[in-house]
Amino acid sequence: MSEFDALCANDAELGLLRTSIREFLAADRDEFGWQPAVDCWLAKWDPDFSARLADAGFVGLTIPAEYGGRGLGHLHRYVVTEELLAHGAPVAAHWIADRQVAPALLAYGSEQQRHRLLPRIAAGQLYSAIGMSEHGAGSDLAAAQTRASRVEGGWILNGSKVWTSGAHVAHQIVVLARTSPLDPDHRHAGFSQFIVPTSTPGILIEPILLMNGEHHFNEVIFTDVFVADEDVLGQIGDGWHQVTAELGFERSGPERILSTATLIFSAIRALGEVDDGVAADVGDLVARMISLRQLSISVARTLADGRDAASSAALVKDLGTRFEQDSVELVADLLDYVGDAEPLRALLATARVHSPLFTLRGGTNEVLRGVVAKGMTS
Amino acid sequence: MNELAQLVDDLCGRSTGDELWRNLEDTGLTRLTSNQGAGPAEAAIVLSGLARHAAAVPIAETDLLAAWLAGKAGLSVPDTGPLTVAIADAGERGGRITGTARDVPWPSIAVVLAARTADALLVGLIDGTSHGSIDFDLAVTELRRVDAVVADELVRRGAWARCNQIVGALDAACDLTVAYTRERVQFGRTLSKFQAVQHSLAAMAGEIERARAATALAVAAATDYGFDHPATDYAVTVAKVAVGRAVDPVTTIAHQLHGAIGVTIEHRLWRSTMQARSWVDEFGSTASYARRLGRITLAADDPWDVVVSYPAPR
Repeated sequence: MSEFDALCANDAELGLLRTSIREFLAADRDEFGWQPAVDCWLAKWDPDFSARLADAGFVGLTIPAEYGGRGLGHLHRYVVTEELLAHGAPVAAHWIADRQVAPALLAYGSEQQRHRLLPRIAAGQLYSAIGMSEHGAGSDLAAAQTRASRVEGGWILNGSKVWTSGAHVAHQIVVLARTSPLDPDHRHAGFSQFIVPTSTPGILIEPILLMNGEHHFNEVIFTDVFVADEDVLGQIGDGWHQVTAELGFERSGPERILSTATLIFSAIRALGEVDDGVAADVGDLVARMISLRQLSISVARTLADGRDAASSAALVKDLGTRFEQDSVELVADLLDYVGDAEPLRALLATARVHSPLFTLRGGTNEVLRGVVAKGMTS
Repeated sequence: MNELAQLVDDLCGRSTGDELWRNLEDTGLTRLTSNQGAGPAEAAIVLSGLARHAAAVPIAETDLLAAWLAGKAGLSVPDTGPLTVAIADAGERGGRITGTARDVPWPSIAVVLAARTADALLVGLIDGTSHGSIDFDLAVTELRRVDAVVADELVRRGAWARCNQIVGALDAACDLTVAYTRERVQFGRTLSKFQAVQHSLAAMAGEIERARAATALAVAAATDYGFDHPATDYAVTVAKVAVGRAVDPVTTIAHQLHGAIGVTIEHRLWRSTMQARSWVDEFGSTASYARRLGRITLAADDPWDVVVSYPAPR
């Protein structure tokens, strides 16, 4: 096997998978007419697309066959994910369920939960939100105050979550809540995770609109919401460990590099004859993208081998999301050399609105740099 | 592979300069690919390892460039002792080849001249000089003529070597910086406890890891396909840009965090930072490789193909 092809995530098997997802995307776009979007994994919610993608076998790749998935590896998932993002496909509906909830269920879920939820995730028909941040708990997630109190047969949830992406259209929210009071010496202890259907009485979901009016985020208020014991995810008291253990995949994945890929590629395709200076600008932009992707793949390979890469994953997210942000204005400069830039200006405008989010979501870059530096100096 | 890295560390730990060269020669490391049957992966370990120790020895020039080029041209060069290459554009007139080779690395040792004419590469052995610029005026009959693509591969090999060496030098700068921030105390605590310093350290690590990842792809390409393959051409082009763009931020942060002591001749930081800064301009500037990658991308059917791997020939 060629190591070069492996580093490009393009060796024999992955190359075939890449070809097949590309063929699916080209045909699906021709038939259904969706437009490649920037930040499609947050912004483009299309349940029909999710179902078609799943029917074609591209959702739930790492879910074992007994739960309705493909039983493939993390690198297979990597290839499909990056192709979806590079083509700006409308993946938001199934995204969180496929990316975060499925791995969490496989790692910590009960058999009953797995059999109930994983086949629907693999079918692209279960949409989930994740309730983590709160008004007083952003970067400092351990300050979360939503609490679950023990009652007969389950728990009663009270509190509120913010920035809960897609909660208004999701079937369920995976909520992180305190099940023991805060112990100042062990701030990460006493958290648990709950799988809460959004139809449960006592849940109020209010929109938090982006500055251009787009609705992706929500505030979710829980007032005496009953959660049955069977909807506890994993072990009571292990919530912190459960939400942080799998962060490496999320932090180092292609979604930390490719959120603006469709903008970048559209601009490059639209360039006509350019001088050496512009060619060098394109080369610098692409070199940054390629080298980041190489770093991201090397972390993915490390994680797929079951080795630790927490610090490198944090590093990929810091570098990758800053690249995403920088790319927006670098592309804006390129538009001077595009004949008809109007179609690109809409993508650019959306990218400018979403751009501040790149270095915030999933842990701010300031926090991540602290993680990296700690790994260097301890 | 780990044993090879360990061997380089050991040799650098107990010797420098001419003595280090002799030790490297005794262990076969000076002609690893040209004489010992080793490949680019081994060469990469030796080059980055030596650079991490700021060891001043012309291994890349001797093994990957001069001995290889001499072999291509059917010239015999000594089996021992350092060699270098002088690359120049040359004019061919009246049976003579004239020109000036500039920025010759290690110019005072035995030199293999690579004189590029309009349609070929002419190769010969010439004497070194005491400075980096070598004028030549030679009879064509004194030189061997090889295909012009050999010149492209020569430059590619040089750029590839410099990427590996620069990553080693940046690692050294980072090691020194981390160590210094952990021991230097100001305002009652070590520098490493200050968040602004931590963020600079993280920025430094990020640039280096990105450069390393790009270089690893170039090493894999050369190992799998050889230096004359389009995949290697692609990966070296990417690496030269990625590594080139890392040098300024990494060396700037290294000096900033060292404070004024880092700019003194007595401190060893400069041996890594200034070395990286001079290597970065060799075998083609960062900007020239960026232009090249830009042209490749603009000519591709789909820019995404260029991001994934080298574009398949059409």
